Amino acid sequence: MSFSPASERGTSSAPVSGARGHGAAVEFRHVTKRYGAGADAVAVVDNLSLVVGAGELCVLVGPSGCGKTTTLRMVNRLVEPTEGQVLIDGRDVATEDATALRRRIGYVIQQTGLFPHQTVAQNVATVPRLLGWPAARITERVDELLALVGLDPGRVRQRYPAELSGGERQRVGVARAMAAEPVVLLMDEPFGAVDPIVRERLQDELQRLHRTLGTTIIFVTHDVDEAIKLGDRVAVFQVGGRLAQYAPPAELLARPASKFVARFVGSDRALKLLTLLTVADAPLRDASTVPGDTPDAPLVALDRTTTLNDALSAILGSAVGAAVVVDEAGRQQGILTLDAIGTALRAATGDSHAAPVGAVCEPLSEAGGRLPRDAPGDAPNPASPTVGSKP
Amino acid sequence: MTPGEPLISWDWIFSHLGDIGQRVGEHLVLTGLAVAIGLLLSVGPAIWIARHPRYYGPVLGFAGVLYTIPSLALFAVLVPITGLSLLTAVIGLVSYTLLFLIRNIVEGLTGVPADVRDAALGMGYTSRQLLWQVELPLALPAIVAGLRIATVSTIGLTTVTALIGQGGLGYFILDGLQRFFSTPLIVGAVLSVALAVVADGALVLVQRWAMPWARGSA
Repeated sequence: MSFSPASERGTSSAPVSGARGHGAAVEFRHVTKRYGAGADAVAVVDNLSLVVGAGELCVLVGPSGCGKTTTLRMVNRLVEPTEGQVLIDGRDVATEDATALRRRIGYVIQQTGLFPHQTVAQNVATVPRLLGWPAARITERVDELLALVGLDPGRVRQRYPAELSGGERQRVGVARAMAAEPVVLLMDEPFGAVDPIVRERLQDELQRLHRTLGTTIIFVTHDVDEAIKLGDRVAVFQVGGRLAQYAPPAELLARPASKFVARFVGSDRALKLLTLLTVADAPLRDASTVPGDTPDAPLVALDRTTTLNDALSAILGSAVGAAVVVDEAGRQQGILTLDAIGTALRAATGDSHAAPVGAVCEPLSEAGGRLPRDAPGDAPNPASPTVGSKP
Repeated sequence: MTPGEPLISWDWIFSHLGDIGQRVGEHLVLTGLAVAIGLLLSVGPAIWIARHPRYYGPVLGFAGVLYTIPSLALFAVLVPITGLSLLTAVIGLVSYTLLFLIRNIVEGLTGVPADVRDAALGMGYTSRQLLWQVELPLALPAIVAGLRIATVSTIGLTTVTALIGQGGLGYFILDGLQRFFSTPLIVGAVLSVALAVVADGALVLVQRWAMPWARGSA
């Protein structure tokens, strides 16, 4: 089971390059979806324009009813837009036969949608079978895929979905979606129904898969932590199907474009941003300027790939208020202090005119009461109140 | 029945073994024909109703009315038209299978989980592939359940068709009643009950064999 610390991605939004390039770019061009007719028509997605780069993992996140699932389903034409176009590698999906289109797009849903009457192997073989692959190639591909998603082919191949755990079923769902090497993978709250521990492991494995295969992934969730962890870029939707912000996770946390986004990512967004930064992002002090190791107050040792969130936790828990950073051989690289973490955080927010990332509290008038409804005209909020900001 | 005569005359049974075998065969053929034709007639309307639920009420209502017509009355109406023929018997028996079969097929099709249908369409199944490869197989438990009810009730009803000369085990029951001779009456009754039990058991086995995935849950 591979584990990938967030630091491997760091704050960079650029997909890792390499022997990949299998993914396709997806573009939404002024897409609107209305249900109902005439004056009663309700827009579920409202004039959405968004580009997902080839090989990117784009997360659509927002409260329920914000149109993120509808947006996803317009890519494989399970929903047809009322206005506008969805393009895959520049080609309008409406011009393609819906069935053929869907066979080259992977589709994973929360309830898995596995066929209960088919074995795991038959389930995974679904799209290759529809595409008419020769039997030998299908068999080979099925085993390859099961191994890819961390299942033992020999053990699960002939099982029925009902005989698997929730996490295993979700893995089979992912294997099935990847079977015919789709150019785009659509995932609709795929990990929403599994317990938190399994969810975290599935997220780690999805990141690994994404890095290995380079498939473009559009991932819907209502969980902002999941969005921040997984997304190369995150599209925050608000009710009415409007795009509130589309940015890499670090930027979303550092510079939320509106009060709505700021509230949605959470008042602890500074702490969340720390999960995207690593010790390597912070300035280290010379080891000689800080009280050294003593048997009474040992310094906690960290390495440069530790997230600043974990580092903060370690420092707060130590008696010294600092931690020592060591390299792989255990040699001291320097000392990490609380101030250095603050400096790294401010550097990550970049623009000094933007809302200080220390402004973790809502204005007093709002913080005390219930969260107000999201005003439709929730304007960008460069002059965010600074209650509670650090000196 | 004269006093002192045994309830069952084994001599009669042994001397009529060939006859009994023939009637059992007729009974099975009539039942099989009726259920098979009933199934063929039900599948189309049931698929259509599953797609257009607003017709569920009217179609099931019609099948229900057919089912409530007393069998003797139905044969009385049919005989002037189709005569004392196999056709008359089969028409009657088929009309009694439709209610169970249509109802159960519709139930099976509409019971297919929405996420399974969604995933199938999302992966590029055509609606025909969806029906044959996903919906009908998943509806099989409900369909076989309907077949079991239809088969058992048809085996019972087939005893009545002896009245219009269409044999089956009902012939022995009629014969026994007319001659006040208990042996054939009992043979006819016991064998038709046995047939129903065996047929039901056989369908359960078929169900298990055809649906390994539903084992333990069905």
